[in-house]
Amino acid sequence: MKLLKKTPLNKVHHDLKARMIDFAGWELPVWFTSILAEHRAVRSGAGMFDVSDMGRVWVSGRKAGSFLDKVLTKPAQQLEVGSAQLCLLCLEDGGILDDLWVYHVGTDRYLIVWNAANIEQKLDWLCRCSGSDPDIIIEDTSPDTVMLAVQGPSVCQLKNLKGVSHLPRFGHTQTKIGGLSVFVARTGYTGEDGFEIISHAANALPLWESFMEQGVKPCGLGARDSLRLEAGMLLYGQDMDTGTNPFEAGLEWLVDLGKGEFIGKSALLAIKRQGVKRKLIGFQVKGREIARSAYKIFKSDQEVGRVTSGGYAPTLGVSIGLGYVPIELATIGTDIEIMIRNKPAAAQVVNKRFYQRGA
Amino acid sequence: MNSKDCKYTQEHEWIRPEPGNKGSIGLTDYAQSQLGDIVYLDLPAPGTQVEQFKKMGEVESVKAVSDIFSPVSGQVLEINQTVIDEPGLVNEDPYGAGWLVRLELSKPSELDALMDSDKYDKFVAELSEEESE
Repeated sequence: MKLLKKTPLNKVHHDLKARMIDFAGWELPVWFTSILAEHRAVRSGAGMFDVSDMGRVWVSGRKAGSFLDKVLTKPAQQLEVGSAQLCLLCLEDGGILDDLWVYHVGTDRYLIVWNAANIEQKLDWLCRCSGSDPDIIIEDTSPDTVMLAVQGPSVCQLKNLKGVSHLPRFGHTQTKIGGLSVFVARTGYTGEDGFEIISHAANALPLWESFMEQGVKPCGLGARDSLRLEAGMLLYGQDMDTGTNPFEAGLEWLVDLGKGEFIGKSALLAIKRQGVKRKLIGFQVKGREIARSAYKIFKSDQEVGRVTSGGYAPTLGVSIGLGYVPIELATIGTDIEIMIRNKPAAAQVVNKRFYQRGA
Repeated sequence: MNSKDCKYTQEHEWIRPEPGNKGSIGLTDYAQSQLGDIVYLDLPAPGTQVEQFKKMGEVESVKAVSDIFSPVSGQVLEINQTVIDEPGLVNEDPYGAGWLVRLELSKPSELDALMDSDKYDKFVAELSEEESE
């Protein structure tokens, strides 16, 4: 029997009587009180998530930057120290191995934050690509650290985060919160302003409790999913995987084909030249039925694709989703149907960014 | 806790019998707590014949979809339009404002196959124990 992995905050989640589930091998809260209430807290105030399931890997050494330039779809060395960017890790054939954040922390020192799924496979891939070069040091610090995402329009008013409110979007710094050493970045996965905080596992509980004392609402995976879906953000393993290329996933903005050689570049150039046959779309169901992942998408009685993510959009009060359809059906305004338990539900292709902050 | 004047199914529906072989039906507090925030209900239209323990509708929470089974056989008299418009009422008040449909029972003796509130309390307590193990 494979036991679920526990984050440094596992006990506090149980103490708060959170509903726990298995997420990519981790025991994590799906909700504390209510997904809707947690979702709304992040859209209107501040909420926090235990995102310690995310992998935190340091890449350092004299050749760290050139190595990352070889494996990532965007230039790493050109990234200013103190800044970060979202990019992809692609296979030789252009398939997506993961989407990840790369933080340029110092000279020859980078932090990668990637998804919980397939961590061993990805670490193995990185190590193989590095060819055991002594000038490239790859170190997975995930087991010894905690990662919190504190998100929402009022985060900069929190006592804990006032000191980092000067950070630009995607900026990061090493600092202290309540005397505890932390790495803080102005990043997130909710479509709101917010910060992600990494610290030693021993600091997990005091950090969590101090945010709770400042009125930040604990939030679970349910709200994490509904917030990112509303903001049109893709989830690896659902909306993209090794069988998907960045162009069909609508992630060409994460690929810089103008930079030097990198793994997957020639395949991606060829895909771009040929054009894609299918495309990830956003859709809105006209009724109130919920479209869920793996439901079939129909056009004129023909199955044309599958839903990859779907759900209720709490801020918008409608049922939304993402899915792949043939390119000729990917135009905004196209009428489609989602087969919801053997009943076709009318839907329409809409902009994937269902919710936009301040819009 | 669970309402004393109702009878319960193992699938976590309740029926509150009324004089004249009628009754209203809803989901239990345990059901709503397991489902989480309810956002959509698909209920049978008035006039529909339903059968005991057979599917009569669907409930969608943010996280999952579940079937709703009828506690007894009969004909649907009315559905709660307020709960269709505001499905969250099932979470807030499962035995009151969150009722789903009213039925005319065709076989009132079927009520004998259901649990009373004491039995259902125990049934749920055992489920919760299994869960926490």
